[in-house]
Amino acid sequence: MTASILDGIVLGLQFGVLASGLTLVYGLGGVLNLAYGQMAVISALVVLLTMDAGVPAVPAALLGLLAGGLLGWLFDATILRPVYRRKGEARVLLSLLLTLGVAFIVDGYLNWAYPLRGLSLRIGGDAVEILGVRMRMGSLAASGITLVVLAVLFYVFRYTRLGRAIRSVIENEQGAKLVGIDPPQMLRLILILSGVLAAVVAVTRSMVAPVNVQAGFSLTVLGLIVTVVGGLGSITGAFLAGLVLGIINSIAAAYIGTFLSLIILLVAAGFTILIRPAGLLGVRE
Amino acid sequence: MLEVAGLSAGYQGSDVLHDVSFHVDAGETVMIIGSNGAGKTTLFRALCGLLPSTSGRVTFRGEDVTGIPVQRIVGLGMAFVPAERYLFPRMTVQENLALGAYPELPDRETSTMVLDLFPRLEERRRQRAGTMSGGEQQMLAVGRALMSRPRLLVLDEPTTGLAPKLAREAYQALEVLRGGGMTILVAEQQVPLALAISDRGYVLENGAITLDGTSEELTADPRVRSAYLGVT
Repeated sequence: MTASILDGIVLGLQFGVLASGLTLVYGLGGVLNLAYGQMAVISALVVLLTMDAGVPAVPAALLGLLAGGLLGWLFDATILRPVYRRKGEARVLLSLLLTLGVAFIVDGYLNWAYPLRGLSLRIGGDAVEILGVRMRMGSLAASGITLVVLAVLFYVFRYTRLGRAIRSVIENEQGAKLVGIDPPQMLRLILILSGVLAAVVAVTRSMVAPVNVQAGFSLTVLGLIVTVVGGLGSITGAFLAGLVLGIINSIAAAYIGTFLSLIILLVAAGFTILIRPAGLLGVRE
Repeated sequence: MLEVAGLSAGYQGSDVLHDVSFHVDAGETVMIIGSNGAGKTTLFRALCGLLPSTSGRVTFRGEDVTGIPVQRIVGLGMAFVPAERYLFPRMTVQENLALGAYPELPDRETSTMVLDLFPRLEERRRQRAGTMSGGEQQMLAVGRALMSRPRLLVLDEPTTGLAPKLAREAYQALEVLRGGGMTILVAEQQVPLALAISDRGYVLENGAITLDGTSEELTADPRVRSAYLGVT
């Protein structure tokens, strides 16, 4: 049981980072990015190919993060342009359709060009015993990185000028404009950030289990479930929901079976929404 | 300071404002008086770049600002407080004020000035804006606008939804700002209150300016007296 919970925390922290990227883009811009998992996969592939070329893991991983950021910027500059011209529900729907299209194309191409490839970052060192459970270095390194990323995100959003400006757009876009904040500029920043976060998930995930080129959709779906449970537009919500669902997932996988864990996650998400329609800490209803 | 010439604007192709012209000089407090639906809000939204105008020109501090989006107008020194206030409800009073100074960090001098003007905000620094009363939210909206150290403060119906006592308090605060040399433009339905603290005024009816003059002239005008002051 302790082992499942610890595994769940490792997974949950990654869920938290994964959902942060989705939830911020939705909270700020009303855009739902269904190609989010593919962003992570492309970043993983960049790391993989760079390492194939003989580059060590750390610079390759950093290049992967850069690739993620570039993808976010590219999304903002290209396929999201027509989305930004629409408002409210039409915007969400168009973003769903366009990013889904991109996701299919990317998935198809990757399966054809790099079939069965996957990124596995091996972190050396002996396993460490925590609470009587032997944890691999890879899991610990992944958790350390995700914790730092979440802490930095939290700090920036809560205490800095930039973080305040971004939250102000989520709370009241007109009000943000009145004080001189340019919402499109903030949205571009957030898309770049979401790309970097997708890459962080790809890299940390690959320290625990391989990230295959066809993992895109399952990452997006997991991200969506965590986002919905955590509440749209809330990083703290994404973090909490990530941990809860990560632990549920691990326990379910250990005691019931991996094949059912996604269904159990969906049921858990369904119950949360029944009790709290805006999610644990939702901003927008 | 502000020069509006032949401004027309509206929604979905039909103009609400017709050829509106007026000006505000530095240091003046000017009122736009009009009943509900006269076009005051449309006028201010067009003025501040929240609504595109169909014709006319807005010049602010010698610069043509017609059609410039609202997020850039603030940087030029014009702060707008709409009747809806557009606060950040889940953020604290302090955070709302800090955002008013964006892109700068709030400086001590301006913060002190704002908190001296509205001591209630000082008491509620850590309270979330959305949980405050209407009067306090209005103070916060004006305070947030002042944090940008504007040359011109534009207020759309600052007394909307306020009890008479709070409305008087709001105008006392404006009086203090006016005494400090701030240039102020206000749209108002509460005409007696408004004319008492302003230098000049314009009467807006059905989207056009029908009358203008100093506050004394307007207070004495029989049309204003019967339509807005309840005197027959």
